[in-house]
Amino acid sequence: MEKNTLRMVTAASLFDGHDAAINIMRRILQSKGVEIIHLGHNRGVQEIVECAIEEDAHAIAITSYQGGHMEFFRYMKDLLDEAGCGHIKIFGGGGGTILPQEIEALHAYGIAKIYSPDDGRKLGLEGMIEDLVRIACSEVSVAAFNNAPENWKGAPPLGEKKEIRSIARTITLAEAEISENRQAPVSHADAKVPVVGITGTGGAGKSSVTDELVRRFLNGYPEKTIAVISVDPSRKKTGGALLGDRIRMNAIAHPRAYMRSMATRDDHVALSRSIQKALDVCKAAAFDLIILESAGVGQSDASIVDYVDVSMYVMTPEYGAASQLEKINMLDYADLVCINKFDKAGAADALMEVRKQYKRNHQLWTANDEDLPVTGTIAAKFNDPGVNTLFLQMIRMLNKKCKAAFDETVSFRDTAPMERSIIPGKRIRYLSDISESVRNYNRYVKEQADIATKLYQLNGVIKMYE
Amino acid sequence: MAQKLSVKETLEATYQLLQKQQDPRCRELVDEWPELKKKYEKDLFEFTVRDRTIRLPLTVTSLSGTGIRKIALPQYKDWGDLLKWQLQENVPGKFPFTAGVFDLKREGEDPTRMFAGEGCPERTNKRFHYVSADAPAKRLSTAFDSVTLYGEDPGHRPDIYGKIGNSGVSIATVDDAKKLYSGFDLCDPATSVSMTINGPAPVLLAFFLNAAIDQQCEKYITAHQLWDKADAVRREKFENGRPPQYRNPLAPQGLPEGHNGLGLRLLGLSGRKVLDTEVYTAIRADALMKVRGTVQADILKEDQAQNTCIFSTEFALKLMGDVQEYFIQNKVRNFYSVSISGYHIAEAGANPVTQLAFTLANGFTYVEYYLSRGMHIDDFAPSLSFFFSNGMDPEYSVIGRVARRIWAKAIKNIYKGNERSQKLKYHIQTSGRSLHAQEIDFNDIRTTLQALYAIYDNCNSLHTNAYDEAITTPTEESVRRAMAIQLIINRELGTARSENFIQGSFVIEELTDLVEEAVLAEFDRINERGGVLGAMERMYQRNKIQEESLYYEMKKNDGSLPLIGVNTFLNKQGSPTLLPGEVIRSTEPEKEQQIANLNDFQKRNEAQSTRALLKLKDAAVAGDNLFEVLMDCVETCSLGQITHALYEVGGQYRRSM
Repeated sequence: MEKNTLRMVTAASLFDGHDAAINIMRRILQSKGVEIIHLGHNRGVQEIVECAIEEDAHAIAITSYQGGHMEFFRYMKDLLDEAGCGHIKIFGGGGGTILPQEIEALHAYGIAKIYSPDDGRKLGLEGMIEDLVRIACSEVSVAAFNNAPENWKGAPPLGEKKEIRSIARTITLAEAEISENRQAPVSHADAKVPVVGITGTGGAGKSSVTDELVRRFLNGYPEKTIAVISVDPSRKKTGGALLGDRIRMNAIAHPRAYMRSMATRDDHVALSRSIQKALDVCKAAAFDLIILESAGVGQSDASIVDYVDVSMYVMTPEYGAASQLEKINMLDYADLVCINKFDKAGAADALMEVRKQYKRNHQLWTANDEDLPVTGTIAAKFNDPGVNTLFLQMIRMLNKKCKAAFDETVSFRDTAPMERSIIPGKRIRYLSDISESVRNYNRYVKEQADIATKLYQLNGVIKMYE
Repeated sequence: MAQKLSVKETLEATYQLLQKQQDPRCRELVDEWPELKKKYEKDLFEFTVRDRTIRLPLTVTSLSGTGIRKIALPQYKDWGDLLKWQLQENVPGKFPFTAGVFDLKREGEDPTRMFAGEGCPERTNKRFHYVSADAPAKRLSTAFDSVTLYGEDPGHRPDIYGKIGNSGVSIATVDDAKKLYSGFDLCDPATSVSMTINGPAPVLLAFFLNAAIDQQCEKYITAHQLWDKADAVRREKFENGRPPQYRNPLAPQGLPEGHNGLGLRLLGLSGRKVLDTEVYTAIRADALMKVRGTVQADILKEDQAQNTCIFSTEFALKLMGDVQEYFIQNKVRNFYSVSISGYHIAEAGANPVTQLAFTLANGFTYVEYYLSRGMHIDDFAPSLSFFFSNGMDPEYSVIGRVARRIWAKAIKNIYKGNERSQKLKYHIQTSGRSLHAQEIDFNDIRTTLQALYAIYDNCNSLHTNAYDEAITTPTEESVRRAMAIQLIINRELGTARSENFIQGSFVIEELTDLVEEAVLAEFDRINERGGVLGAMERMYQRNKIQEESLYYEMKKNDGSLPLIGVNTFLNKQGSPTLLPGEVIRSTEPEKEQQIANLNDFQKRNEAQSTRALLKLKDAAVAGDNLFEVLMDCVETCSLGQITHALYEVGGQYRRSM
């Protein structure tokens, strides 16, 4: 497995909002060909470790500027060891907040490397990252990674419902196209597990929509499990990738949820060849539902449809002229259409136009608008009623197309009612109102001062005549 | 002669024509100038506050016998110059308040406000008593540990445990808050408390207000000799457990110097349980009208720069609106409901113009939101306060001037707010980012210059950083030096006797105009992105701050931005980065005490807290004012319990990249 792509989890420590440094580090790592699963700031040890195991990462890189680093890093090492995942290397940094003697103690505890400000000065940023990659890719590290499954005995780690370690590793092997015949993690390979595909343009809010659907699934079905496979493109030039979907996900750190972020690697298509294998692994693991999320490449890409039972297209009201809708292939194939960011201008028009287009594409000339699977959502809003509707549509569609038998009477938790928009539509230009008003005032001052000066001068001259 | 007359007539006709184009208000300003000037030439300045006439001296005499005017007025004769000066500058206390919002500075109250917070509440309480020992005005500023900042409870889980009481004080219950501010009368007009907390601000605010109310209950109980009754209530409540106690594991000998015991006799109890409802209600109403201070609670800048958001942005804003409504209903008029902060935006790397523009834009966003909830501008605008950083850049010399001027113009002309609403008040903290870990002795020099900018600009409140802040938590020694910086400027530096020292400087006036226009231009850029919230969604503010931070780092690294003792003027050893020998961290006994206290609190309130949390959630679903419910909820629920209950009904913050 020498040619294995390095995968790393990056985050800032718990109760720590300082995310500037880790963002710089992860960018350099990406440029060195590393696949980064970025979690952002304020992440606890348990969720980071769970993520690293589910993602079958080689290493975790953490910044900690808020103190408590000794406990934090040691706890991380402990949890990894307990889980039989001591092969996952831990790297860290915290500028001057981590003292030299503390760095020594952490190294002695088994933390791969804590970088100090002095390292930064000596090696430079790039040098530091190269050092990190060298350690993570060393022969010893690779061997430990490969031999890790020998340590995976007993119940699944971290109280997880599924054996997330073997699921993760099987996907890794599939991805590396290693055809070693390893045992499938669980022997339910025949089980029919429904797969929902979510695709849409970049920035439409797919991961927020996915997170909100996952949350409702976990709340609504307290016994059921779910797997999410999320695909992002690799950078052609460097081979690295930013797998950023997890950063928006709040629901996924859950014993009944498994998530795997995948890069397209060298395939120049929206979905990598190993996707089908990853789906098979999750099916074999007998999850109750699988969500495949993919960015897709451009309006013409509908390749996701080949992998899934029910497909959902996520878009925003900002697609341009109505004729643009005629170019979107997914409007031919999608079982469900979600118009997200429904608080944006033109949302109502968009809903009408997309419905019209959907009717045309599906020859549903007589269908009622309300019966069409086209829904406006605001996934950024907590417990958005639009997402509730979307969730129920998805469940019904799964029952209809896959005989999934999910309970359709699921009710949603009551939550605080909130305005659709914080600033009322008619006041949206408030800042320009202010800048205009202040500039007008300044102009007025200048005009009035000019008049006053002239009056002063005239007055002076008039006085001279007296 | 005839010719002469006709010229004069022509001139007079022109004069009258011109006068018609003059705004009558402007004419008044010119006409009233001599009178205004006379008012400031007197020895005493007279003004009225709440029907009281106050006379303050207008001059101070130097050792040489020179009379130094507190407010010096321009010597202009040209009416245009005089008019322009009054419309754009004016004396302090007059629209557009460029030079300051008060006619004269309050006597006997320096703007000093020092930040403190470490370990358990008792330890920080001791520090508060230390830093305020010599000041007649007790101006306390609280730093909370990161566990509290993120709305969680202390606990043994190692990633939490390590952070308890570090870089701030650990506060999880109302009893913690009572200890923290004990020995200071929170309803005394000379006490004012600032709390740096954002995500869970409403909860901490409820802790604080309850602590203040119960202090007044204590005083009532003492005055009416009701301690027997109170003790009986306590005995009953703590039949099976130990009542909470004030105990500093680091100083077990007892209360710190200057502590009179106020605020500790009702630990574990609410005055409500001891006093008759009527009495309690009256005390509560009175306390709410008297408390003075600020809670940061600025959720917008958290998303833009500092990342301590915990609730979804909409819900966080709803909570802020609830606090503001509660303040209006209960006439909480001396406590700022929000401190709209540029400090963290600047610390994250923004330049001073961006700091000011983003912060004011955030401020106007709160204004629009509160108006949309039906509040009246004059009911809430006076509750808003601002908080800026002062670094070394030239623009910092006018940051307060520009802020006050834009705010006043907009509130007056667009929002039709009254004079009180037009007055922007702000706190300055000297820039932490401008301090370096090399040659740390030089840091006090930087802080001194920044403090001078702030004092010349008539800031309303000031924190000076300690020189060792770049490498560690400040010690009592370094904090003392930081306080001395302010004292030396305020008490020793002769020019600081003047309260409009920088007015009339050509450079200052030009900078003010330039920065004002730069801020307006930034408003337009944010507007193009859909306003503050729209721009946030595209991460416009974040990206801009990052870009500016990189620019600074680049200039620092290539030496084109000279930093003495950092990239130039290095000492023989090359001015190495200093590492602290030892870092002040909270101790094991403090952490264990916090956890034990929390466990006791939760256990003894188990039944009541379940009910209270349900009530809170129901109120959220019903769309009620949540702060009103929180005020009761904190009697029996801890911070973490409340945060998690609110997540269920309001949603957690969603990170983005």
